[in-house]
Amino acid sequence: MRFLQPGTLEEAISTRVDNPEQSVIIAGGTAVVLMLQHGLIAPEVLISLEKIPGLDSIRIEDNRLHIGALAKLGDVADSRLVRQYFPALFAACAAVGNVRVRNQATLGGNLAEADYASDPPAALMMLDALVEVKGISGTRQISLPDLLLGFLTTTLEPDELITGVIIPIPTEQPRMAYLRYNNRSSEDRPCVGIAASATFNDAICTGLRLTVGAACEIPTRLSEIEALAVGSPLTDTRIHEIAEGYAAGIETIDDLQSSAWYRTQMIRVHIQRVLKGLRDG
Amino acid sequence: MSKHTVTMTVNGTKYTREIESRLLLVHFIREDLELTGTHIGCDTTNCGACTVLMDGFTVKSCTVFAMTANGKSIETIEGVAQNGALHPLQEGFWEKHGLQCGYCTPGMIMSAKHLLSNNPNPTEDEIRWGLSGNLCRCTGYNKIVEAVQYAAEKMSAEQEQDA
Ligand SMILES: Cc1cc2nc3c(=O)[nH]c(=O)nc-3n(C[C@H](O)[C@H](O)[C@H](O)COP(=O)(O)OP(=O)(O)OC[C@H]3O[C@@H](n4cnc5c(N)ncnc54)[C@H](O)[C@@H]3O)c2cc1C
Ligand code: FES
Ligand code: FES
Repeated sequence: MRFLQPGTLEEAISTRVDNPEQSVIIAGGTAVVLMLQHGLIAPEVLISLEKIPGLDSIRIEDNRLHIGALAKLGDVADSRLVRQYFPALFAACAAVGNVRVRNQATLGGNLAEADYASDPPAALMMLDALVEVKGISGTRQISLPDLLLGFLTTTLEPDELITGVIIPIPTEQPRMAYLRYNNRSSEDRPCVGIAASATFNDAICTGLRLTVGAACEIPTRLSEIEALAVGSPLTDTRIHEIAEGYAAGIETIDDLQSSAWYRTQMIRVHIQRVLKGLRDG
Repeated sequence: MSKHTVTMTVNGTKYTREIESRLLLVHFIREDLELTGTHIGCDTTNCGACTVLMDGFTVKSCTVFAMTANGKSIETIEGVAQNGALHPLQEGFWEKHGLQCGYCTPGMIMSAKHLLSNNPNPTEDEIRWGLSGNLCRCTGYNKIVEAVQYAAEKMSAEQEQDA
């Protein structure tokens, strides 16, 4: 096996084009090294992105927050900008695994891995983030629903790399939260993760965004249910209705961690907790 | 197999070695440098026994290629005591009985060192979160938390004296 450390994105992409079958991209390596250890992959070439300069920056440009694909989840959680504008993303990244995983795992790797039992994707989808992707024929920006196809599957072409994530900064700062539920140990992967943001005019809810992750193959946002919140106060009855709508509308996953039935119950419970928290400020 | 030359500073000493590209950092440290204080508990990113500091941040050395550590600075348990004097953390594990078999201890101490460098006066909860992911099969963790509290107090007192 060869371990290559290209110094530019272009070089990384052309190395990938030259070895489409035999190469694997590696960023922080928390997933790739495990796959190698378990013999699930046996690449001839590992293409490390680590030496490409500037891919780990977190900055504001044109009223949008840009997070480079190589930013570590710990750096995203520690970023002053992320904490100020997107506390739900802060909470989702800070919840991942443990400090040693967050010191090593990258945001781009988390998205490209496309494991449903993840925290950041739900928060990013709730925030209407765009994923910036670069390949041989240029750059494109796609939404999370357009990136994530299913368990460990994305729409990335073999020559394409994730270069970063772009999140629009809202004009009016909403209340935001990410609530993760683990049914086993605290550092385990999530059973359910709920990302939400809401704006209010006095007690009247003027907007709601609600995404459920980790419980389903792809994080899910149901706009017709979100719309139930808008235009009236978020009463307990209304919150219950929204929770029921999500519980009924999401096809949950059955795995070793929890049954599909249990995940549905946990969606119902945790949506109510998140929304009451946002309402009560 | 392709060979690469890597250079890294481990516990203040610079080492250059020729390695196989698939060599993991933990094997480089244990086998090439013969620093066997860094343990392997699982080899699959679960236990934290192999924790070292890489450029000041804790990582699981069983999950990092030695190639990735090229040019970086590594600190292992062997670098923690200075001039033959135990570090307050090591003293804390001794005084508070923070270990039984000792297998997890190097990883615990490296994780605690990183925690205290960012947060010199952690609460009990912060210590537990900071060490979460470092598994111990013997102590039940309470004594480990006490050992870190001992070190935090001692280091704060020393800082005050210096100031
Ligand atoms: C002990 C442990 C606990 C964990 N707990 C959680 C948790 O609680 N919540 C959670 O969300 N996640 C959790 N994870 C998963 C972790 O977040 C991911 O493994 C990590 O984010 C992947 O990032 P990486 O940089 O290490 O990726 P790598 O391992 O380097 O790569 C992962 C995949 O993405 C591809 N890839 C990487 N970067 C790019 C890129 N820029 N463009 C295209 N493809 C790319 C690689 O080819 C590979 O297929 C846990 C992992 C471990 C080991
Ligand atoms: S040996 Fe590295 S985490 Fe267990
Ligand atoms: S002291 Fe034995 S594993 Fe921790």
